[in-house]
Amino acid sequence: MHGLIISALLFLVGQTSARVLSNKYDADRHILLSQEAELFLGSGVKLTEDEAKANDILMHWKNKEVDEAFANPEHYNFSKHFFAYRNDVSKSKVYQIIKKMPKGAALHVHASMMLDVDSLLRLTYEDHLYACYGDGDLQLRFADTVPAQLCPFEWNLLSDLRNASGDVAAFDTELRKHLTLYTDDEDFQNSDINTTWERFEKVYITVAGILKYRPVREKFIYESLKNFYDDNVMYVEIRSGLHELHELDGTVHDRMYFATLYERVTEQFMQDYPDFIGIKLILTSSRSKSPEMVRQRIELGRRLKKENPEFFAGFDLVGQEDRGRPLSEFLPLLMEAKEDMDFYFHGGETNWFGTATDENMVDAVLLGTKRIGHAYALMKHPMVLAKVREKDIALEVNVISNVVLSLVRDVRNHPLASYLAFGLPVVLSSDDPGAWEADPMSHDFYVAFVGVASRQADLRLLKQLAYNSIKYSALDNKGKIRLFNVFVRRWEEFVKDVIANDSLEV
Amino acid sequence: MWTTILCLSIVLFSVVSQDVYNNVVKERNDILHRELDMMLGNDIELCDSEMKANDIIMDLKRQEIEGGFLEPQAFNLSKHFFEYKDVVKESQLFKLIQKMPKGAILHAHDTGLLSPDYVLNVTYLPDLHVCFEENDIRLLFSTNTPDETCETQWQLMKDARYSSGNVERFDSELRKYFSIVIDNPSEVHTDVNSVWLKFQQYFITTGAMFGYKPVWEQYFYDTLKACRDDNVMYIEIRSVLPELYDLDGNVYDSVETAVSYKETLDRFMSDYPDFYGAKLIYAPLRMVDAKTVKQYIEIAKEIKRKLPDFFAGFDLVGQEDKGSPTKDFLAELVEARWELDYFFHAGETNWYGTSSDENLIDAIVLGSRRIGHAFALTKHPLLIDEIVKRDIAIEVNVVSNAVLKLVEDVRNHPLASFLAQDLPVVLSSDDPGVWEAEPLSHDFYVAFVGVASKHADLRMLKKLALNSLYYSTIKDKDKIAHDFEIRWTKFIDSVVRGNVFY
Repeated sequence: MHGLIISALLFLVGQTSARVLSNKYDADRHILLSQEAELFLGSGVKLTEDEAKANDILMHWKNKEVDEAFANPEHYNFSKHFFAYRNDVSKSKVYQIIKKMPKGAALHVHASMMLDVDSLLRLTYEDHLYACYGDGDLQLRFADTVPAQLCPFEWNLLSDLRNASGDVAAFDTELRKHLTLYTDDEDFQNSDINTTWERFEKVYITVAGILKYRPVREKFIYESLKNFYDDNVMYVEIRSGLHELHELDGTVHDRMYFATLYERVTEQFMQDYPDFIGIKLILTSSRSKSPEMVRQRIELGRRLKKENPEFFAGFDLVGQEDRGRPLSEFLPLLMEAKEDMDFYFHGGETNWFGTATDENMVDAVLLGTKRIGHAYALMKHPMVLAKVREKDIALEVNVISNVVLSLVRDVRNHPLASYLAFGLPVVLSSDDPGAWEADPMSHDFYVAFVGVASRQADLRLLKQLAYNSIKYSALDNKGKIRLFNVFVRRWEEFVKDVIANDSLEV
Repeated sequence: MWTTILCLSIVLFSVVSQDVYNNVVKERNDILHRELDMMLGNDIELCDSEMKANDIIMDLKRQEIEGGFLEPQAFNLSKHFFEYKDVVKESQLFKLIQKMPKGAILHAHDTGLLSPDYVLNVTYLPDLHVCFEENDIRLLFSTNTPDETCETQWQLMKDARYSSGNVERFDSELRKYFSIVIDNPSEVHTDVNSVWLKFQQYFITTGAMFGYKPVWEQYFYDTLKACRDDNVMYIEIRSVLPELYDLDGNVYDSVETAVSYKETLDRFMSDYPDFYGAKLIYAPLRMVDAKTVKQYIEIAKEIKRKLPDFFAGFDLVGQEDKGSPTKDFLAELVEARWELDYFFHAGETNWYGTSSDENLIDAIVLGSRRIGHAFALTKHPLLIDEIVKRDIAIEVNVVSNAVLKLVEDVRNHPLASFLAQDLPVVLSSDDPGVWEAEPLSHDFYVAFVGVASKHADLRMLKKLALNSLYYSTIKDKDKIAHDFEIRWTKFIDSVVRGNVFY
């Protein structure tokens, strides 16, 4: 009898202590979770009452998307190639919100791939465009007579070919394929990084042919800025090598001319759209070039900086990193230039580990780079990671680019997730959105927000990313304040719009 | 080549003084060296013969990686495992890793370890009955026709096989139930759920066949043999401990199933005294309610009482995204934590901010000795700190994560950053038989060539093997470490003499 009572008592004690214990564990668990949440990028942003309301709406739709995907991964889009889901994105409420959201600045975009392909196609309707169709290649060039450039077959006026084709729509569909990587072909989506880049470079060559013609380049710049502006981007830092431009009669303008053209068009654009803040140029050289040629490009950078310090942001080396020369090969040259200009190097756009490509990040950091383009391999380099933190070097992350250019398939494995978790200085950008028919910035923001970031990441992350794009831009303080003021005004409108928008109602 | 360019540039741009230049180069190399010094394996000192072996190994490794770097389309490890699993067996480095003593397997599920060919052979045993249903088959040992319902009809496997008219085709069709390897995984295994369905189907299909006590014991015996053949000296095996049966109508409960494992182990050890042994992690299915977990815990405690030296601890298994999160059983698990060691699966997911990756927190807070997978760990910086502080080992199964659709290109596997930070990692293989991998060699090879830094060398391999002993539940670690060292020395010797490849 006593034994029974005792064991009953012991049982009760056991129950209670278990409950107490599990309460304690619940508390521990909670503390760990909330401490982690504090590290997350954007956790420092305080939301106003209105913002909190907008956040509820945003998070309602985000959680719905994530939870549905969690339960039905077979429908989850972001685990697939961007091309497999690109056309479905516009149905998402989260995307619709992000599309309208002011995003601050685009800090990592290449000049020739800024424009959407439909606009590009329209530019091929300009007079005097000659085409040379080769074996799967297409060269385009504006000229008043048959171009002197080598063509393995023959140069024809594109308008003649188009008219002779008998089916303009079909002709343009074919032509379009030379202007974009976008395709339904799953074999391409599964191809290795070199095959993808070879295709990418072909598209680049075709597009660049059109853009060497001064009047078309002028339109291209204007329309590109309009694209970004319409996507709620207020300032852009453009990477360009500033090639020569020509007129119809063959007159050639040098690279400095190209720079002034940029300024002229931008000025015009800012007159038409006064809340656009402007652009700056990051001068680039191909990393496959010899040190001597890179030196010449750096020299151009010095001249540009001297003649227009407002316009010139800095210098970078571009091209497929695995195949180009590592930064270490240019070290003396870059160390010398370091005194005269800022660097915005690409680094670690690779999934190799322990190779010249990922080790580029070390050189970028030691050369005092202001930001690192991609830094995809950063999580494998704890020392570089420490330097990035210590020197507050921003990481320019381009998630969709990394998918299309064959670094990662399922974006949930993109290292951006860790960068956000560690609260690293991240800015989102889009690299070459025209080349894969992405929005100037909205697709990248959307994929990063829903596909890569934590399910709990909310409006504070989005706002912080926009803030970061201002903070880590090459603008001087005055410029940053101007951009910030425009951003704040536009942000308030955006928040009001989200709250008032019936179609978003929860 | 590049030194020439550097020298040339120095002449051209002598504005940057040699000193400044040298300093930057020094700092650069310093950072790279410090990173290498942080990497897993940094505390291993190689002796002379090990250094010779290392040169051989690194030559082979460099050839493979540099080939892949120049021609990524030819780099096997960025493709699907099914595409390269047999090809890599021809690699000298693979052969070398096969011969290498790898220590212990600490994360593997008992009935997923042997190849489909082995399982096919089991179907040749007498008294096996088969029932062909629309999309599946059922298998059961019985003296008479089984009473269990069957959509068609039960027949003796022997009769079905020989009346099929074509035994070879019959067997090759049958074999498909015992493997998830297919020719077109990217079309069929399109997402994590579709591949998990196939994966789980394997266990369902083979479950009743393996539950026949003589087969159960033989499978375990042969598993130990396969591990030994793959130069693994010890295993901690996870089991759901199903009920077993025999032809006399006896049924054996989970505790008796554990006992049958222990008896089989004893038999194996007397046949192969150079094997170090095995322990059991009781790991029943997680897709249950709290009451059932309570019962599991009672079973675990009883096994521990009965077989204290054989029982290692407790875990819950099943697809994390679909099963109940660990926090649902917090009260039960908190209460039992002084009596049971935990080895929880956690964060085997690429979701972020969901119950699956948050299982990592519960595993840590509950005092898990090791964590299975922890794939999502790189997204949880504080949990990384906790894991280091509490010295919780991470059981990484790269091939499993690739096959079960968490990651495509293994170079994106988080193991790369675990190794870079020297987290306490052990490599394991999960269910190698189901995807036709070797018990441990494929996982070591893929991790070493495909995931780790190009610079990671023999020190990392040795450290991974030593970690598997250190983070095991073996009591006498000195003895096993000593035994390991003897095997290791022999292995190094065979590498240096060049007869490791034969």
